[in-house]
Amino acid sequence: MTESGTRVSGMTFLGASDRGRRRGQIVQRHGWTVGVWLLFASLLAWYASRLDAFGPYERTAILTTAVAAVFVAMGQGVVILGGGIDLGLGSMVILVNCVSAKYMDGHGFVPCVLIALLVTLAAMMLGGAIGWVIHRSGVPDIIVTLATSFTLFGLALFILPSPGGGTSPSFAHLVTGSETGEVYWPAILCLVVPFAGVWLPMRRRRTVLSIYAAGSNANAAFLSGVNLRRTKIASYALGSCFAALAGLATTAVTGGGEPRFSTASAFTLNAVAAAVLGGVALTGGIGGMIGPIGAALALSLLSPILTNLQLSFTWMDSNMAEIVKGLILIVVVMIGGWARARKQKVV
Amino acid sequence: MSAATSPVDIATPSWRRRFADHPNQLLAVVFLVLVIATCIKEPSYLSWTGLRNTLLLAAPLAILAGGQTLCLLTGGVDLSVAMTATAAAYVCANKSSLGATTAIILGLATAMAIGVVNGVGVAIGRVNPLIMTLGMQGILVGLLTKGAQSFLKGSTNVTPFVKKLGGGAWGAIPYNVIVWIGVAVILIWGLRSTGLGRSIYAVGDNPLACRLAGIKVWKVQIAVYVICAFLAGVAGILLAGRSGSVDLQLTNFLLLPSVAAAVVGGTSIFGGVGGYTGTILGALILGVLERFLLFMDATEAVKQMLYGGLILGLAWLYAELTKS
Repeated sequence: MTESGTRVSGMTFLGASDRGRRRGQIVQRHGWTVGVWLLFASLLAWYASRLDAFGPYERTAILTTAVAAVFVAMGQGVVILGGGIDLGLGSMVILVNCVSAKYMDGHGFVPCVLIALLVTLAAMMLGGAIGWVIHRSGVPDIIVTLATSFTLFGLALFILPSPGGGTSPSFAHLVTGSETGEVYWPAILCLVVPFAGVWLPMRRRRTVLSIYAAGSNANAAFLSGVNLRRTKIASYALGSCFAALAGLATTAVTGGGEPRFSTASAFTLNAVAAAVLGGVALTGGIGGMIGPIGAALALSLLSPILTNLQLSFTWMDSNMAEIVKGLILIVVVMIGGWARARKQKVV
Repeated sequence: MSAATSPVDIATPSWRRRFADHPNQLLAVVFLVLVIATCIKEPSYLSWTGLRNTLLLAAPLAILAGGQTLCLLTGGVDLSVAMTATAAAYVCANKSSLGATTAIILGLATAMAIGVVNGVGVAIGRVNPLIMTLGMQGILVGLLTKGAQSFLKGSTNVTPFVKKLGGGAWGAIPYNVIVWIGVAVILIWGLRSTGLGRSIYAVGDNPLACRLAGIKVWKVQIAVYVICAFLAGVAGILLAGRSGSVDLQLTNFLLLPSVAAAVVGGTSIFGGVGGYTGTILGALILGVLERFLLFMDATEAVKQMLYGGLILGLAWLYAELTKS
């Protein structure tokens, strides 16, 4: 903690005298995240109460469907924090899914883990290359990643033209726990490890701090000595790293690769939705990772909840999940915007 | 920035200046190169049928991209165009029994209603356009999937008139190209010479200055999203006419190309810069590329990669050229 050489001091320094204001700021800063998690918790409690049993099987089912979505949301979160947006993130997930499924097929646990590491590394390099192109070309992020959403998907199709491939059962158990689903803690571990192992240690280090700085004001960051090129590359590489984890999780959960463009775009768009609902500002520089994780979990609960509600209301079905998801996204962002506008007016 | 790695190096500086001043000429060159490449691969392409096939393919995309261009010009984006188009086509097919005119009017009215909601959300609700239209896209997917099983149950076939409009031809000119020409004339003229058209550029350039100058920014924004949805509806109905029936995947494949055509055509994603002429060229380029890849017997994988490469390449080239 005291290696001052690699650490940059906190971005805001508050004197001890204005503790009240500080408390207010903490509420202001974390209120949104707490709200998102409360939403998730209440949805979960409601869903659990409607089920006949809420045992390990149900928990595994919820967690395994959520894992990939949570990872992509984290990836999109990092990229948006850095002032960009990655419309090709879903295609990256599918690419990693297809590559890993193709080469893991028929191998044992150890080769599978090695392949997973290699693929993640390759995805990070690809992401870094995309970041470099954005910086070098001066073309807006949204356009470059629109193009990469096609290119990466094409690459996935090239490698795995039709659904197939497989993975080692023991590798799959890293996410699914077991064949039958009575072990749910590996899935929880899967959710916690990338956050605790990648994000938490990096959060206060130079790379991520400069991502925040470049995201909130690129010019100011440049003038204070932030290397914008390296930051852009880092944010996209980190985003792709999370996308790669999502792809590997998809391989593990579905036991194969499926190159479908609709899946890719659904991943991308749900990730943008989760990041924004999780309190990451689309303008960049504001937000964290805990919010998007909670939002992604809550969003992935909607579909099973609405399917379950069909038992009581026949007009309800999982199609309603899309409608509800869209409405929540719009209304929450609208309320957030109004709250911000009101706050600015008061001050 | 040194231009050492830029593709412009091949060109002489005067060319460079020329293309920087008139990016549409560059697009025309790219278009011609693609046409020539296609002709070399498939000599029969250089015929009226070949041209017609390209236009038939490019027309719905160009109309969809026209609406997208307007949104981009105000600094927004509409990611719900694909589902708006599908919704219009669905309603149009569903109400076929009421006659072609009524069915088309109802379809377009549905699209415009969606546009009103988008516009109100963006202009008055102050929701980021990306989020607003993304949410709308999700809502429409849900509503249409549900509707197809309940309130929109029934006919998925369009009337013969719509079929003729989408796939037929008047002499040698396909009807949908005639519609496209109409849309193009109105859009180009409207953007150049009407108050709304100039306001669209102004709002995209600097909304704050517009507000201070007395332009009702919210009115402009709502108008733009309604026009965009209307054009999406037109494109959706034309596409439905071409295929004869509607399904939920009718226009999904055109969502990202609609943004791509506008961007390749030189419209800035930040608003205020661009126009429909470039978008027409963008749509034509994408249309010819599609044909070219078809003749090349390219697999879907290669198609997607080249498609992405072309979008990135043209956007990069454009950025290099306009760099001072």
